[in-house]
Amino acid sequence: MIELIGEDRTATGAVPPARRSWAWLGLVPFFLFLFLFLILPAIGVINKGLHTSSGTLSIKPMTDVISKERGAFRNSLLISVVTAAVGAVLGTALAYAAATAKRPKWLRSLVTSFTGVAANMGGVVLAFAFISLIGRQGLGTKILKTIGFDLYGGSFKLASPAGFSTVYLYFQIPLMVLVTLPAVDGLKQAWREASSSLGGSSFTYWRRVGLPVLAPSMLGGFLLLFANSFSAFATAYAIGSGSANFVPTKISFYLQGDNTSGKSPAPYALSAWMILIIAVSMGGYLLLRKRAERWRS
Amino acid sequence: MAQLAPGRINWGRIGPTLLLIAAAIFFLSPLITMTRFALQNVPTFRLGWSTLFDKWSFSGTTKAFHEKSFTPTVLLSVRLALGTVVLTLCLLIPTALLVHVKLPKARGLIEFLTLLPYMVPPIALVAGVIGFIRPNARWFVASNYSLIPFYAVLALPFTYRSIDAGIRAIDVRTLIDASRSLGAGWGTTLRRALLPNLRSAVISSSFLTATVVLGEFTMAQVLLKRTFPQFLAEYGAREPQGGMGLAVLTLVATTALLGLFTILTRRKGAASGAGGITETLSAGPLTVGGGAPR
Repeated sequence: MIELIGEDRTATGAVPPARRSWAWLGLVPFFLFLFLFLILPAIGVINKGLHTSSGTLSIKPMTDVISKERGAFRNSLLISVVTAAVGAVLGTALAYAAATAKRPKWLRSLVTSFTGVAANMGGVVLAFAFISLIGRQGLGTKILKTIGFDLYGGSFKLASPAGFSTVYLYFQIPLMVLVTLPAVDGLKQAWREASSSLGGSSFTYWRRVGLPVLAPSMLGGFLLLFANSFSAFATAYAIGSGSANFVPTKISFYLQGDNTSGKSPAPYALSAWMILIIAVSMGGYLLLRKRAERWRS
Repeated sequence: MAQLAPGRINWGRIGPTLLLIAAAIFFLSPLITMTRFALQNVPTFRLGWSTLFDKWSFSGTTKAFHEKSFTPTVLLSVRLALGTVVLTLCLLIPTALLVHVKLPKARGLIEFLTLLPYMVPPIALVAGVIGFIRPNARWFVASNYSLIPFYAVLALPFTYRSIDAGIRAIDVRTLIDASRSLGAGWGTTLRRALLPNLRSAVISSSFLTATVVLGEFTMAQVLLKRTFPQFLAEYGAREPQGGMGLAVLTLVATTALLGLFTILTRRKGAASGAGGITETLSAGPLTVGGGAPR
């Protein structure tokens, strides 16, 4: 300690650069950890997705897998766009309803706590819950039937786009509430008063003030929800007993077949597509989140 | 909102109120029906007003405890959670402190890097493990504990943010200077001056890590590791009532833990309130698409 101070005093000019280089060394474990357990596997996936089974570098595995797994891509895109759009609208509306509700005082903290839990719920537990509700033997199915609505009268199944979407909305809507609640809170009462004192109707207020302020959060939330449902695996797996036709379940199907052979580039090409799609939508979300924070003070 | 005379119905609130009621029904009914299914041994088609109160018991749920794989899978998941918590704290606290005290220039880079796990969903990460890591380090992936570093990666965006927020909320520099000038070494400074002040951040990032690990299904399933979520899926497909019982228990346990940690971080960590659990949870999903058990 004393020595160090002495050193500082005698060689003020020389010590700081040397120290800086030591400090950078302290980040090595972190960089190494990320490199080994995230970046290396990700590069490995993309690299394998860009090589044919004979080992030549080519874009062909990536394009082949799209035509081969057209159904999985279509299902994944469809359910992601639908649940993200419905989740974004309902989540924002719910956030607004909770933020502006005056009466039960505990309502708001209940909504925030519950959405915190529900947004992070999912997978096997959620699948079981919905099987008990609107599965073929579900209690909700039975109650609907006694009041004259046969859920299974048409082509409805829990393992169908409509069924999966219903289940996914259970975590999509709360996630959207969490994302937009700060923005909804940021809508100032004074803006509404200013709008109406200038002769604007409620509709004008929303079109010219409310929605433009909420737009970055809503769009960002849509992208987050899209990525969230596009990469959902456990819920789809548990409901479809492993046979659901989505991109993540297809990857798992190929990988488990790959346990022995390891030659087909299909799971890696699918994963490379996933990384690309998720990186673009999450990147968009993170950028929009920065922008959305502008209105908060 | 305009002031209203008491007792009058505020027609402008009708829409929001109906929406809140509809949401309550949508979000509570699956939980209620799952609990009934777990606790009442009456098939749905026999259920009616006359059988409503028949055969309620915990036996369907406790049956799961006698399954051969129950204890080992729970133990494995708990060990993985502990291992991931230790790895996360040992790696992130020094890194975040170093960035804060000595390398403020690196902050942007580190923050960007901690967001990278968002870009690689668990199913793609596990494809990388099978396609790239396993061929090169078969011994490593063969061990159940090889999941630990990957789980630490999945939880990284949250754990780092929580620890970083905790560090920013206290005056690290003064604490270090005070402790060092009293003659403490770096180890003592960390243990006796910094960690007690980072208590809230440490608790919440540990909790976040544990929730991610205890719920993670994707990587365990694809790598054929017998963790608790993997057992739950397999058992529930075989024994629906027992599976739903376990699912209800899981949910109750997670919620109770969440409540406990909220209280812990709120009361005792009031001085270092930033980075608390509720704040971090409301930042978004634990990880996108499956680190949290999606």
